Amino acid sequence: MVDATLLTQMVIGALLGLSVYLPLRCGQLSLATPGFYAIGGTLAALLSTRVNALGGSEPSYPISSLLLEMALAGALCGVLASGIGAVVLRLRGVYLAIATIALVEILRVTMLNQEALGGAVGIFGIPQPFDDPADYALFTLGLLAVICWLCDRLERNRLGRAMAAIRDDELAAACQGIDTERSKLVAFVLSAVVAGLTGVISAHFLNSWNARLGNFDASITTLAFVVFGGSRTWAGPVLGGLVLTALPELLRPIGDLRLIVFGLVILVGPLLLPQGLINPALIGWVTQRRR
Amino acid sequence: MADLTQLLLNGLSIGAVYALFALGYTLVFSVLGVINFAHGAVFTLGAYFTYLLIGGAVGANGLLAGLQLPLALPFWLALPLAGLAAAAVALVIERIAFRPLRDQGADPLLALITSLGAGVVLVNLIQLLVGAESYAIPTTALAGLPPAIRLLGAQVRTVQLLLLLVAAALLAVLSHWIDGSRSGKALRAVAEDPTTAQLLGIPSGRMIQIAFGLSGFLAGIAGGLVGLSVSIAGPYFGIGYGLKGLGVLVLGGLGSVPGAVLGGLIIGIAEACVPAELSGYRDVVAYGFLFVVLLVRPQGLLGRVLPTKV
Amino acid sequence: MSPPLLETRNLGVRFGGLQALEGIDLQVHRREIFGLLGPNGAGKTTLFNLISGLTPAGSGTVLWRGTAINGLDANRIARLGLARTFQNLRLFGSLNCRDNVMVGLHRQARLPWAAALLGTPLAQRRQRELKGRAQELLELLAIGHLAAQNAAGLSYGDRRRLEIARALANSPELLLLDEPAAGMNPGEKDQLRDLIRRLRDQFDLTILIIEHHVPLMLGLCDRLAVLNFGRRIALGAPDQVRQDPAVIEAYLGGSR
Repeated sequence: MVDATLLTQMVIGALLGLSVYLPLRCGQLSLATPGFYAIGGTLAALLSTRVNALGGSEPSYPISSLLLEMALAGALCGVLASGIGAVVLRLRGVYLAIATIALVEILRVTMLNQEALGGAVGIFGIPQPFDDPADYALFTLGLLAVICWLCDRLERNRLGRAMAAIRDDELAAACQGIDTERSKLVAFVLSAVVAGLTGVISAHFLNSWNARLGNFDASITTLAFVVFGGSRTWAGPVLGGLVLTALPELLRPIGDLRLIVFGLVILVGPLLLPQGLINPALIGWVTQRRR
Repeated sequence: MADLTQLLLNGLSIGAVYALFALGYTLVFSVLGVINFAHGAVFTLGAYFTYLLIGGAVGANGLLAGLQLPLALPFWLALPLAGLAAAAVALVIERIAFRPLRDQGADPLLALITSLGAGVVLVNLIQLLVGAESYAIPTTALAGLPPAIRLLGAQVRTVQLLLLLVAAALLAVLSHWIDGSRSGKALRAVAEDPTTAQLLGIPSGRMIQIAFGLSGFLAGIAGGLVGLSVSIAGPYFGIGYGLKGLGVLVLGGLGSVPGAVLGGLIIGIAEACVPAELSGYRDVVAYGFLFVVLLVRPQGLLGRVLPTKV
Repeated sequence: MSPPLLETRNLGVRFGGLQALEGIDLQVHRREIFGLLGPNGAGKTTLFNLISGLTPAGSGTVLWRGTAINGLDANRIARLGLARTFQNLRLFGSLNCRDNVMVGLHRQARLPWAAALLGTPLAQRRQRELKGRAQELLELLAIGHLAAQNAAGLSYGDRRRLEIARALANSPELLLLDEPAAGMNPGEKDQLRDLIRRLRDQFDLTILIIEHHVPLMLGLCDRLAVLNFGRRIALGAPDQVRQDPAVIEAYLGGSR
């Protein structure tokens, strides 16, 4: 069955799926999510273990410090993404994907080689804001709810429509007066912020952090969430993240084959369900039924 | 002088591997316009095939624990055979991960994703079957050649020289074939414009298979060569090459054969020039090149700029 | 006399070895219906691409109300008041018809981001207004009944109409129509001609239109320009142009 620890992992998966989904909504295949996840996690790990002032007097790590870390991580990732995005989002299609892969790798190797950022060993003994796994689950669920709400608002508004238009036909979208550069950048920055926030809570949850947590494998995994769940609406990556994180745990016997399962999902997914589980046909059917 | 020779040789030999690798990417990119993310996995497979053909034994961790082929082939037989086996696998990948998408008329970017999936399945299958330990290919494979030779004042490892020569020979033969032969020209025609090529009677499906088969053959041999000269560090060792191969591809120019060679050599030598204190950053050289090139000159050194039709 | 709404001076562009356009001088005045004629490959769509900012010009200038606009991004130019349709139809295939038009209403849909985020009553009312406006435009183009239908599944003629509706949603001053009558039978072409005139009057538009069908153009346009091999070979009122020997030769044969 699903216990609180697994639930937290599932929700983290869903959050990362949302992070990959946001640029994809603009038609941009960016694999930068693990990089910003790593930045958030490393920031949280460093701040909570090196900065005593944040520790407070209680045995558990104060929530206010946790929220402060999240604010800082969000700001840092946002600023970095603005800079990187302005440069990288000029690239299209496969070139963008490759560029983001390169960025994540450069970041990973740098973190691996810099003692100050944890080095090869990583950072241990990250203080815990919650003792009970159920509290972690609640907190991350809360975060997920907020992000889902934001995505839903986005989809119903002018920006969401603009992003869908850019995905369908960027040139035609520009001819409608849409500032495509800006829209793509907003999606990229939001994606980075979500990944960074997720990294913070993840670092505390996992109790330790190392450079290997933001690598190419993570790119593949999070991409699988979106491919499996569907990329039309926020519900797709959430479903993909929840299910694909739970699957290997629930199917203990094949737990070691986790990556093979992922590989098969990404291999077969686009062939059978080119638009994922929560695809336009299903959405259309659901909205019809609701009338 | 000896140091310089050593450095140059290191750089050239690793560069030659990168070039072979990138050539495989380029072949597929030329005819399909997509990057085959399973390429690194086929490279890995080539290394393992070579190991088995040379008579190596599988360790105790995988499902095939203890497997050892009743063969002990010399390198000049093992490499091409491993290449052929890798080519066969590449053809299977084309059939499963690429062709259905083409038939459906799906977005070409989806092929990026399916090939990624195929690569992941392959690599993890290897881990399942033979475990994750590293293997060193025994020097008996060299079939009597000395382990090192004196060249220009430096002690040069024979395997490195071998690597260079084999790679150079393959590259030369391939370039000649693509430029000169009828099939080579047909391949280029399909790369330019698949529909017109089809109308002209060129079977583009067959050409795509040839491109995949060739790229698999090259990847397999490259894997075997690296296994020979360094070692097989585990089933994931091809992923690093796969990612770095992207850097070479972009530097040289997507779709350009001489570009792949040039890019490979440049990055190989650049990596060799990284001083020992910063050796941890050696991997970043390729990624750094990739990033800078994409921003400054996305078509790479020798690639063509493709105009977009409005 | 006030400057023309749109003017091109010595406009030209090369693609590789081909001089697609050269020395194009044109002036389009307010409320004109100005036609661009010419055989296939003459450069008409290329001219549209230069004007709307999708292709950078090699030489010459494009002037909007007397100010040069070449070099501006396509979205800046669109916001100045130019809207266009495309020869090969560029609809947003994953959206339904109403949403396609609502994308066209992008400029009008601006809201303070806090209001949009929270869905305040103000924001909701604006959203309803926009939907209503989109529906009006769809009905104007006789496809109101297809509002909830996905754009990709429409018939060819309906898709052309949708593109026009979307372009009108931009509230443009100048409308660029690229072969709007393609694939239509004679009856439909007549309807289109009447529609274009109605749109010009109702929305106070200036219209620049590319078409192949010469009789349609002669009957619709106030003035015409004829392009051939990237150059302007004729300019004037329909009767003038129809009798121009260069035009006759371009269309009916002569050297190619």
